[in-house]
Parts: sequence; structure tokens; C-alpha cells
Amino acid sequence: MKRIIALLLCLSMLFSLCACAGDKDNGKDTTSETEAETVDLSKYETKYPLTITDHLDREVVIEAKPEKLVSAYYISTSVVIALGLENKLVGIEAKADTRNIYKHAAPDIIELPSVGTAKNFDVEGCAALNPDLVIIPVKLSGVIEQLEALGITVLAVNPESSEELIQTIAMISKATDTFYRGSSVITEMTRALAKLGERISDVEEKPTVYLASNSALLSTAGAAMYQNTLIENAGCVNVAKDITDTYWAEVSYEQLLTWNPDYIVLASDSEYTVESVLVDENLAALDAVKNNRVIKLPGDIESWDSPVPGSFVGSLWLASQIHAKEYSVVECNSVMVKFYKEYYGFTPELFE
Amino acid sequence: MKKYRNLVLLSAIILLLFSVVCVSLAVGKFPITVEGLILGNEMMGRVFLTLRLPRTMVAVIGGFALGIAGSVFQTVFHNPLAAPDMIGVSSGASAGAAFAILFASGTVFSVGLASFIGGLAAVIVTLLLSGAVKNGGKASIVLAGIAVHSLCQTVLMFLKTAADPERELASIEYWIMGALNGVSLKNSYVNMIICVVSVLPIFLLSRQIIMLSNSEDEAKMLGVPVNKMRFVVLIFATLAVTSTVSVTGIISFVGLLAPHAAALMTKKVDSFTLLLSGLCGSILLTVADVFSRSLASSELPVSIFTSLIGAPFLVWLLWRERRRA
Repeated sequence: MKRIIALLLCLSMLFSLCACAGDKDNGKDTTSETEAETVDLSKYETKYPLTITDHLDREVVIEAKPEKLVSAYYISTSVVIALGLENKLVGIEAKADTRNIYKHAAPDIIELPSVGTAKNFDVEGCAALNPDLVIIPVKLSGVIEQLEALGITVLAVNPESSEELIQTIAMISKATDTFYRGSSVITEMTRALAKLGERISDVEEKPTVYLASNSALLSTAGAAMYQNTLIENAGCVNVAKDITDTYWAEVSYEQLLTWNPDYIVLASDSEYTVESVLVDENLAALDAVKNNRVIKLPGDIESWDSPVPGSFVGSLWLASQIHAKEYSVVECNSVMVKFYKEYYGFTPELFE
Repeated sequence: MKKYRNLVLLSAIILLLFSVVCVSLAVGKFPITVEGLILGNEMMGRVFLTLRLPRTMVAVIGGFALGIAGSVFQTVFHNPLAAPDMIGVSSGASAGAAFAILFASGTVFSVGLASFIGGLAAVIVTLLLSGAVKNGGKASIVLAGIAVHSLCQTVLMFLKTAADPERELASIEYWIMGALNGVSLKNSYVNMIICVVSVLPIFLLSRQIIMLSNSEDEAKMLGVPVNKMRFVVLIFATLAVTSTVSVTGIISFVGLLAPHAAALMTKKVDSFTLLLSGLCGSILLTVADVFSRSLASSELPVSIFTSLIGAPFLVWLLWRERRRA
């Protein structure tokens, strides 16, 4: 619940912040639905040149509305699609063919030239695309100087938590003059989570969850990772919340047996199966295994355990599996379909 | 007097190993008490027998294998820096593991098997290559080893480039740093049997191994079929190492440090030194594993501690040596 209040706070701060970036009027609350429909759209228009502070605390000046975009990170690419800007993309990150969301929402971008991975960026290849704006993750901060020397505008984003995801959506939408749509995406996310929070607020004993990473069962996410937020938003407790690692942490069978979680959740892109966990003799004594409570986060749409705009649906889905009485899968389906239809232009398959 | 001294040394080392093993059996994330074990607490008993005990056994047997293999390599090549890695064992095993992580869904079994095959294949190719050269001596093995090692590194690099940075690359990196967190009775006992079975012939052949360390002509005169013997000994040492690393991932420094520690204690090369380097390896790996599972809330790579504990120890031994001289 605290987190949702924090989100709402963030949201309201954002509106006032972004309004300062060039607008005159910033007084009204725009979060309620009726107002959003009758709202004066000109208020959301971006005036260029625009100055934005990015996630590296750099002041980025965008001279004119960008027509050619490069996104070097799958999360920012997903944001770009949600903002309806996929046709403006001229280059994206490597391994685009492994992302299901592109296949559903923007199959054309898979064929776009690759500008490299988060570890290995192709500066020359990027420059050759002649982009107006390049969006990179802060991990790639090393290439900013080179790109700017070539006269390319760079926006560094760090979507690693829900707050940062919201800021990322706001930044990209403001920079590309799609702020109204960006705000609606954010509103949709926060509203759905707030509603879920209300439903499960009466649950007294929150079930414990162990989230296993994509790479291995004995690798999990501590409190500093986005996955922890996903679990908490779904009204559960992460058994690994005391781990301080900021990346996937290795644990032992013994540790897992000591935690004895109510549920074991496998990350969306895990290559090992629920069956392999259920038949693992070392885990046979776990309550989650005995009660057949090992589930895999769906990954057919996108990896909901990473901070993509649609990741809130991951929390809804998890809640529908664990708190079925309070939050039904039907409700989860309707929110999911509405969201992906509206912002990604396709109808996802329903969950049973 | 000499025999007496060896006996004291041996009992001291065995005592140390015994206490380290006791600590290793007592430390872990799951609360296990002696009382609970005696009273027959089912869960405690199961954790102890299928996880805690196998993990300690892997550290002891694996450390022993790494130590003794290091000693064999240093003796056979008459080179204080020689190690199984030199002829491609670890790079072959890493390439095999990376291959399994990428193309065989990365299950414990497939990674173990692929790294075992990778390490063994690398060494066999090295030895065959060196045999293809006319005299097949020490130098040709080293050169062939360098070639195979670089080839395996290239394959590994290629596999890493192809890996998804979010998933597979992380697994490959973790594997290369070594860890005992996934060890259980089921996935380790076959390897440990192979390991013990390959270490035994090394002891039986210890006299011949010592002879190999002398000049080749001398060994030939003493009736040792030098090239054949070298081949056999290296294969057994390799088998011991690969069967260990295919369970634990790459463990650095044990194979280099243990023989030196042993040699500094006995001051010569004989079969007793071989035994001692194995025991030093066991102690080092067991202590490192205790640290790697108890210092943080998550598991830390074991290679960090083998180097962190091993390097100062080696420096201390050298320093002591110099002061005496």
C-alpha cells in the first residue's frame, strides 16, 4: 500500500514538474477519468526547445520534435511502442527477435538495424542512422560523449524501479511530444495497482514467495530489485527481501529450505520448467512443492518481472493466482486486454 | 628422525582438516543441531545427508584432487607454474559448460556432463597433437596445450557473445567463478567416485611420477617409458580435475597453491609431498566454501576465497622460508 501511495505521489509530482518545463498552467489534478477526457490537450503539448534532466542528472536540450528515434534498451523500446512511436524508430537494441512484445505490437521494428547490446554499443552504426534522439540505459553512459561529439542528442534512462519507470515514461513522452499519452499510460498503471491494493488490503497473513531467476532456480532477487516490487504489489512477501545484492543473488538449497516459501514463482524467461522444480528431490520437503504451488510468470506478452510499462499486469496476474478470492483472473484479463489493446494495439490471449 | 617428523606433520594436517570439516558440517543456512540429528528430526537429517554432507565431501575430495593434480603437473613438467589449466582443462570445461547453458537448457546435469566432456576432450586433443609431433616431449605438450587453451577461450568468447546478457551470460560468468551452492548427493556422487578412482592410480604411480621430474634420459635409463607414462599420469590427473570442476565450476588457485605449500613444508618432492598437497587442497577448498556460504546473505563465488586465503598463506610460507635461510 505504501508503495502505491508513493507511486501516486510520484505521479502528481511529475505533473507539476513536467508542467514547469515550459507550460504556464500546472494547477489542476488530471488523474480522474472524467477530467482526463475533457482535458485541454494543448496543456500537454511540448514546446521546443525543451530542456529535460535525465537519469544521469544531465540537462538535455532537445531543439525540435524528434522524428527519428533510436532506443538501445528493450525497456525504453517498450515505452516507445506504448507511446505509439514505433514508426519513428530507426534503430533498436540487439536481439530484438527474442522479445515477444515486438512480435505482437510492432513486428516491423525487429528488422531495424541493431545498435548493439547494453555492453557493446555501436556508435558508428548509430550515427549512420542519423537519429534525432537516442535513448540509452545509464549502463551505456560511456558512449554519451562520443555520440554528443557527433552532434547526436542522447537521453539516458534508468528504468530499474517503478518510480524510475514512471519517470522514464514521462521523460520520453515529454521529449517526443506524446506527454498526454504518456500520462495516460502512467495513470492506467497506477490506477490498476491501487485497485488491486484495495482488494487485498484485508488479507491478514500475506503469503511468502520465492522468485527464481531466468538463469537458475537457486538465484533470486533481493529488496533492491524490481522483482521485489512486483511481489509486494501482488500482496505477498518476498522471502529474499533481506538480501542486499542489487543483482540476482545466488542462494543454496539449504537457504531455500530454511525460507520454506508458500509459493515458488519462476521468472518469465526461465528456461527450466515448473516440473523440474516439482521433481527436484532436494526440494521435496518444501510446502510450495508439497502443495503444488510452483508457478511460472507468463512471458508470452513480455517479461513482466522487468520494469516495462506492462509489468503491473504481472502483479495483477500473480495476485489472481495467489489471492483468487480477492482478485479474480477475469478482472486481471480485462485490465490486461484493455491496456495492451489501447497502448500496444493487439489483443493478448486470456488467462484461465 | 625424518620419519618421525613426517608423522607429526601428517597428523597435524589431518587434525586441521578434521576440524575444518567439522566446522563445514556445522555451518549453513538451515539450522541443524547435533541434538536434532540424534533425536531423529527428519528434516534436519535429510538436509544433513543430502546437502550439507555432500557439499563438504565435494570440498574435501575436490580440493584433494585439485591439489594433487597440481602437484602432478608441476612435477611432470618440472615447472613451478604448471597447472591443469595449462593443457586446456579449465578452458575446455568452461567452453563445455557455456555450450550446455546456451544450447541444452542449462540443467545441472547437462552443464556437468558438457563441462566434463569439454575438459577431457581438450586434454586428449592436446596430448594427441603433441604425440603427432615427432618426439612428443614436454615442450610439445606445453605448446599444444597453449594452442588448445586459446582455441577453447575463443569458443568460450564466441558463446558468451551469443549469450543473452540477462540470462545465459550471467550463468556462464557464475559458473566460471565456481560455487558449491548447487551440490547435492544426487548430482555429485558419480563425479566423486570418478575422482577417487582417478586419484588412486596417481598414488600407485607416484614413484614413476617422481622419476619423471628428473631429466628424461635419467628416467629412461631407470626403465620408465617416459612418454607413455606421462600420457597416463596426465590423463588420470585430468580426470580427477574435470570430475571436480564439472560439479563446482572453475576453482582458481588451489592447484597452484597446494603443491607449493606442501613442498615448502617437506622441502622435497616425494610421494609424501603428493599426499600433503592433496590434503592442503582439501583444507583450502573447505575453508573457502565455509566462507562463501556464511559471509553474506547470498552465496559468494568460492574462487574469491581460495585466492583470498591462499595468496597470503603462500606469501607467509615464503617469508618464513627466507627468514630461516
